[in-house]
Amino acid sequence: MAEIVIDGKSYSFEGKPKLLDFILSKDKEVPFFCYHPSMSAPANCRMCMVKVGQYVKNRDTGEYELDEHGERQIRWFPKLQTSCNMDMMDDMIVHTHETDNLVKRAHKDTLEMILINHPLDCPICDQAGECPLQIQTYKYGPEGSRFEVKKQHKPKHVQLGPRVTLDAERCINCTRCTRFTDEISQSHQLTITRRGDKNHPTTAPGTVFDDPYSMNTIDLCPVGALTSTDFRFKARVWEMNQTPGLDITNGKGVNVDLWTRDNLVLRITPRHNPHVNDYWMTDKGRDAIQLYNENRLSTPSLRLHPKDKDLVMTSWDNTLQTIQEIVESTDSKQILSLGSPYASVEENAAWAHFSQTILKQKPSYTAHVEKGAGDGFLLVDDQAPNTAGCDLLGLKKRTKAALKKAVSESQVIFSLHDDYIERGWITKEDLKGKTWIYFGTNLTQIANAATLTVPITCAAEHTASYINVDQRIQRTYPAKETKYTNRRLDLEMSEGRLDRFGTKFDHWVNEDNKIDCKPLWEIVSDLFSLWGQTITYRHGRDVLESLNQTITALDGITYQAMDDHRGVLLSTSEPQEAST
Amino acid sequence: MSDWKSYEPTLIPNIEGMHQLDTYRKHGGYEALHSVLHDSKKWPDPSSVVQEVKDANIRGRGGAGFNAGLKWSFMPPADGGPRYLACNGDESEPGTFKDRKIFEYNPFLFIEGATIAAYAMSITTIYVYIRGEYRSWIKKMEKAVSDAYDAGLLGKNIMGSTFSVDLVLHSGAGAYICGEETSLLESLEGKRGYPRVKPPFPAQRGLWGRPTTINNIETLSNVPGVIRNGATWFKSIGAETHPGPILYGISGHVNRPGVYELPSGMPVMTLIEEVAQGVKDGKKLKAIIPGGSSTPILPAKDLENLTMDADALRGAGSMMGTAGMVVMDEDTDIVETLWRISKFYHHESCGQCTPCREGTGWLEKILEKVVKGEGTSRDLDLLLDITSQMEGRTICALADAAAWPVRYTISRFREEFEARCKPSLVPVG
Repeated sequence: MAEIVIDGKSYSFEGKPKLLDFILSKDKEVPFFCYHPSMSAPANCRMCMVKVGQYVKNRDTGEYELDEHGERQIRWFPKLQTSCNMDMMDDMIVHTHETDNLVKRAHKDTLEMILINHPLDCPICDQAGECPLQIQTYKYGPEGSRFEVKKQHKPKHVQLGPRVTLDAERCINCTRCTRFTDEISQSHQLTITRRGDKNHPTTAPGTVFDDPYSMNTIDLCPVGALTSTDFRFKARVWEMNQTPGLDITNGKGVNVDLWTRDNLVLRITPRHNPHVNDYWMTDKGRDAIQLYNENRLSTPSLRLHPKDKDLVMTSWDNTLQTIQEIVESTDSKQILSLGSPYASVEENAAWAHFSQTILKQKPSYTAHVEKGAGDGFLLVDDQAPNTAGCDLLGLKKRTKAALKKAVSESQVIFSLHDDYIERGWITKEDLKGKTWIYFGTNLTQIANAATLTVPITCAAEHTASYINVDQRIQRTYPAKETKYTNRRLDLEMSEGRLDRFGTKFDHWVNEDNKIDCKPLWEIVSDLFSLWGQTITYRHGRDVLESLNQTITALDGITYQAMDDHRGVLLSTSEPQEAST
Repeated sequence: MSDWKSYEPTLIPNIEGMHQLDTYRKHGGYEALHSVLHDSKKWPDPSSVVQEVKDANIRGRGGAGFNAGLKWSFMPPADGGPRYLACNGDESEPGTFKDRKIFEYNPFLFIEGATIAAYAMSITTIYVYIRGEYRSWIKKMEKAVSDAYDAGLLGKNIMGSTFSVDLVLHSGAGAYICGEETSLLESLEGKRGYPRVKPPFPAQRGLWGRPTTINNIETLSNVPGVIRNGATWFKSIGAETHPGPILYGISGHVNRPGVYELPSGMPVMTLIEEVAQGVKDGKKLKAIIPGGSSTPILPAKDLENLTMDADALRGAGSMMGTAGMVVMDEDTDIVETLWRISKFYHHESCGQCTPCREGTGWLEKILEKVVKGEGTSRDLDLLLDITSQMEGRTICALADAAAWPVRYTISRFREEFEARCKPSLVPVG
């Protein structure tokens, strides 16, 4: 076991960790820009300087050499060292800025240098509020600048690709973006061009930065040089709530943060989870903001006559009663009940419970797997976030042909989420003469063709869990309000703001953009009561708790456990018989 | 040193047609390589060659002055994989123009030296990196290399032995930074010329991650002489701690600028007054930059009894560098000279590390202000402050190379800078 002394405190370590990694792991701080835990350390920002020395040992005896005061002699490195690429050695002595003025001075000097050509346009910069340069300048920077000559001008608002806009003047040449395309996404699309203080990242002439992971460079950029073409100038960081969530556009189950203001999801960024996505996410996953914000089903709607072109809005009470009338007037053999891999475990389970009790049948589902769509990184073939969840609940999987056949043989169809028409599995003609009751979040083609649409909450509006392709169960939080929820009353919702800025209330939320929708389990509970049964699911937790009893693999799985372990890897991948 | 007039040049001897292979061989060329490859009594194994070169103490002629043989000995034992020798002919330091003389007048001497080095270190491929602007010298080298291949002096089974090595010429694209040994490797790999972080050192992980040694062209050109005449002969030439012949490139305000091969440790004043035949137009000497533009300037008063070797120059507060001496007469505008030098380093900073990328531009811009008479004496202190923010804070030594001229020129010629500046404090009223 080797020993190291950092700021007078000794630590033991094994192997050959890098000094910066080690210091950060001890909850100490060393400022840095170019270093990133998942990429190589180029040591180019020269910010993470520390003073390093080693105890001198007598070559013959192996004893420590002592000075006149009986203290161990230290041989200091002649220059300050960057800690990000420094291998730790036994008997090393390290002084950070906490204990050494020269290190403190070096931080100040480097920041002064970085800032001389950096435009001081924080008031209009998207990065302000979450900018490492801004934060470190306040903490370690000089009081003012001694730079009184002309700044270097570089290209501004350069469209590097469809999603990323570059402001080269803000760039501090940390090369995180180029290293990302070299080492992580391996598209090699970005490089640094020109020389010296004219340096900036760019693509090769005639090519665009259309890497499917391009927007990670925006998150990586320690300044506002790379900005989101879509999001830039839309909102200040401090106006938004940051709520943890999941990427529902793919079966990988990438962990994300949803950034909301006024009940709109304005951007989605990756959330670190070493078991799933590390620090990254796909650009496709960020497009989910459209699913959450646009074209939403709000208020139940009914087609009064099969020939009517449009659906008309109706009340929730009327909706439930209509469903009851339809079910009671139809032979249960004529009813088809469908679950969905796009819906959460809780939604599918609640629906399965209702379906088995009242409709006398277990729901089936169709998987949405596109062979070859996966890339071996964060995109997998499975396009739905919860296929494994459907399997675990014991839902029968139907092929395209089986679905078409089942639809043609049924009179009443209950379906969840999936847009079979858009996917080309059935056509509008197949719906002729059928009663189609659709529980969904968006006005899809199937919603347009349905008899009754019942709006349910989306992944950004409820607490529910999803099981990814690797059998990891993870959960979402409500990030935006519906007509029936209140951020100030729901403690789980306000977390982001309370933690980051310490404000008690969220002043950036108003009544706009609230959707008239309910969680599916609430609708199911209301339906049960129409049939005189008291089964109450008021929260996703209620559904999960009932699953704890009935499905072995989910025994002991709670939201708390998922929070504590960044999702829980389920012990079995075998489909279980659900007996609810 | 008075016997310099009788010194017989060995690197660029005064022999017509030395650039042709047959002439070169007629004058003892390739004897050294032959003995290394075939005289197993004298050279039982490659390490004996390394030892001889180490004993000769050929200090690197590219500027750092590190013992070449010692550098060779850092190469790990051969493991059957590829190993490389990169020959640095980028020669981009202003005031330096010595290696091109070798390319032009004695290319086979260098090629022989590189081949011996390749044998000594079990190198499989030699890369010769030549400054891109040296179009005509690259052509000359291409001819020489192809002649050497034709004569069986490069390629498979050199001189009938079991030793084989290839030599590849690579022309730079005009970046000063690619003369820095690790960015030279990056450039050879086809990448952007950014210096690498050390450790790992090139001997452990160099070109394409394989053991690599980088030597200057002039350094390698000294190797055949050492092999033929022995380390003792080499050590008897010139200064004791920095022995051997040196190509002095003298430029600036002298009557006969040029490259002169003379022993190391030549008195500076002899070089100026006798070798280069004095300062132009009979003017007085003001200062010299001894070894390329990054080495600290020395005022004329410090040049009496000063000799051109690493230790003497360090004692005088400068460096040997590449021995490319720039001579400046009494009418030289030191302020403008420094501005021009800073402009060069600003233009050539690769921009990888913050202090150099930002600092070089800042230095240039303040110096421009001073040259235009808009500077204040406070700016001079700021300049010195900036240099201390750059020195020793970067991956490679370019920040130092850019900072030293500023630091030492201002501290050694402060009055001239003050004279161009307005006072910092302007009295009120």
